[in-house]
Amino acid sequence: MKKRLSVLMAIGLAASALTACGGNNTSSSPSAPAASSAPSASASQKPSGDPVTLTYAIWDSNQEKGLRTMADEFEDNHPDIKINIEVTGWSEYWTMLEAGATGGSLPDVFWMHSNEIYRYASNGMLLDLSDRIKSSQSVKLENYPEGLNQIYNFQDKQYAIPKDFDTIGLWYNKTMFDAAGVKHPDETWTWDDLYSAAKVLTKDGVYGFLAPLHNQEGYYNFIYQNGGTVITDDKQSGYDDPKTIEALEYYVNFAKEGLSPAVFDDAERAELIKNGKVAMGYFGSWNLSGFTENEYMAKNFDVAVLPKKEKQASIYNGLGHAIAYNTKHPEEAWQFVEFLSSKEGQERQAELGVAISAYNGAADLWISSNKTFNIKAFVDMVDYGVIRPYSNTTAVWEDKVNEALGQAFSGKIPVKEAALNAAKVMNESLSQEK
Amino acid sequence: MSKVVSRRISRQTWSEWSWGWFLIAPTMIGLIVLNIIPIIQTAYLSFFKSGDFGRGNIFVGLDNYRKMFDDVQVWHAVGNTLLYAVLVVPISIALSLIVAVLLNGEIRGKSLYRTIYFIPMVAAPAAVTMVWRWLYNEHFGLINYVLSRIGINAVDWVGNPKVSLISIAIIGIWSVIGYNMVLLLAGLQEIPKDFYEASEIDGASKLRQFFVITLPLLSPTLFFVVVTSVIQAMQVFDVIYMMIDVTSPAYEHTVSLVYLFYNNSFKYSNKGYGSAIVILLLAIIMVITFLQVRGQKKWVNYM
Repeated sequence: MKKRLSVLMAIGLAASALTACGGNNTSSSPSAPAASSAPSASASQKPSGDPVTLTYAIWDSNQEKGLRTMADEFEDNHPDIKINIEVTGWSEYWTMLEAGATGGSLPDVFWMHSNEIYRYASNGMLLDLSDRIKSSQSVKLENYPEGLNQIYNFQDKQYAIPKDFDTIGLWYNKTMFDAAGVKHPDETWTWDDLYSAAKVLTKDGVYGFLAPLHNQEGYYNFIYQNGGTVITDDKQSGYDDPKTIEALEYYVNFAKEGLSPAVFDDAERAELIKNGKVAMGYFGSWNLSGFTENEYMAKNFDVAVLPKKEKQASIYNGLGHAIAYNTKHPEEAWQFVEFLSSKEGQERQAELGVAISAYNGAADLWISSNKTFNIKAFVDMVDYGVIRPYSNTTAVWEDKVNEALGQAFSGKIPVKEAALNAAKVMNESLSQEK
Repeated sequence: MSKVVSRRISRQTWSEWSWGWFLIAPTMIGLIVLNIIPIIQTAYLSFFKSGDFGRGNIFVGLDNYRKMFDDVQVWHAVGNTLLYAVLVVPISIALSLIVAVLLNGEIRGKSLYRTIYFIPMVAAPAAVTMVWRWLYNEHFGLINYVLSRIGINAVDWVGNPKVSLISIAIIGIWSVIGYNMVLLLAGLQEIPKDFYEASEIDGASKLRQFFVITLPLLSPTLFFVVVTSVIQAMQVFDVIYMMIDVTSPAYEHTVSLVYLFYNNSFKYSNKGYGSAIVILLLAIIMVITFLQVRGQKKWVNYM
């Protein structure tokens, strides 16, 4: 009896122990996002006459202010629609969205990304916008860069409309450049110029260049500048490509020679550049508002196009606006997306400096939205921009590749070995794709 | 006559029973809905290759488990989780026992001290970790600043694989002391004063009193604290999640089973595999708890 009691107690205690994690596994798991979108759903069921409330989910708090202004203007013209903007940080955003999709409570309108579009589109979580675009006066796909349209096209159906695009720029501390007598970077710069500048600028506890373990704002750019690739057209890993390995060797070398701090942490990168610990760094255009607000950056920094090797390249990506398949208000949601994607909406977004609007020609307005930095560089790079590599399960292999390459960054194994390991895990992951 | 009596008693018993059930119903329902059903679902899911958004799960039998036993990362996570528990449980219990005994005595402002020790338990773990991250920061952190003033080189508290688990354990210990202290204080206050008075007359020192009276009479509370602390430590997640990125060189040396479960389930959308990992954790916790419950008669003293 006593024995049985102790067994029972063991099971009971252990079982209660598991609940914190076990609970996460059910569809109802992170209840917060589900709960937060519920009010909008219930509010919308009220009889007509009351305004319809649309939830608009985004992940970048830097853009919230500008988008709120746009939403207010939209509400003025559509008194029967209210827009409720919900901001969730990047990694929590996808957990929230997945929970919403599983539990049937997606936001009405939300941002989509190349990493995740396949999963959402192939499972029918997004409203097919093809017919609405066809009959729309103000939204024509030919007004957006073809590469961006393609990301959000699945089996000839358009599931999202490009919102903006981003490229990566070379941010440099002009004060440090001038003090060291180094010429400011421009479009003629090559890898050799970058390397020799980093060497001259590395002194007094300041590193010349920031070469962190980061893909989009790091080694991806170098791989494509060197003529290598991350993923081939037939969905194989490009990490065993000699050109890719060569680029990685050049990149890792900065940290190895002490020209760059060894940085693995995402948030640490911006801390370092904002505190004058590094003289140069690669950062995407979406950092613009954060950098402009930073007094030190605004005073000392400027931005240029990326240096080239075999060719010029900059990783280029763009978000899309998608609508939930099961939204209660497809018409109203479409009106909002139509506004955001129209010439007026896109120009307004550029003017307010929210992001580089995807609409052809609207980018010029974005350039004049910021006088602090030479942000024209970001738009100049579109001509040779390389779409951020993606497949159906990007998020999975990107992490595994980072884990594998991290071994080389910390100097444990040679770059070539790490790259071949990365190719192996990436191909394993790709082979599991449907 | 006797029949009537028995019927009356049984009616009364029945009413007592129904009242009993009625009173425990909220807990029971909560337990079933929030604990039991999810556990069964998790166990069920661990035999499937999960489809996106909970649709199209494919039964794969023991594949997830087979894959798990070949996955070195899982074994690293088991090692890290156990090591974390070994670091946190003994130290935190020893410290909270000392604090509890001190605060059980006659000192001025003891309720203030009790509150101070309990504060880490009230603060949100994510917020607490953010503050610790700044303290630990290699370049700008307070700890390294103080060390530099006394001539010690900067330590990469978070990124260095050799120290990162210790850094995490320090946060774990710091945040759990207050809670354990409150439990132990409650246990201490149940010990009758007479024992101490009697032993004092017999000439026992304070230290001897502690080992001969306090410790044995506190052992039931201590047992409860040990069991729950181990379980809590085995589930470590939020601190590691907040501090260590997958890209960190310390990831392999700090990833815990729950963190691995989270990454597989939510980042890589492989819920079946994630479930298998968490069932492994359940099994480990069950074995440890079972051994503890069996071993309690060796040292736990129910008066």
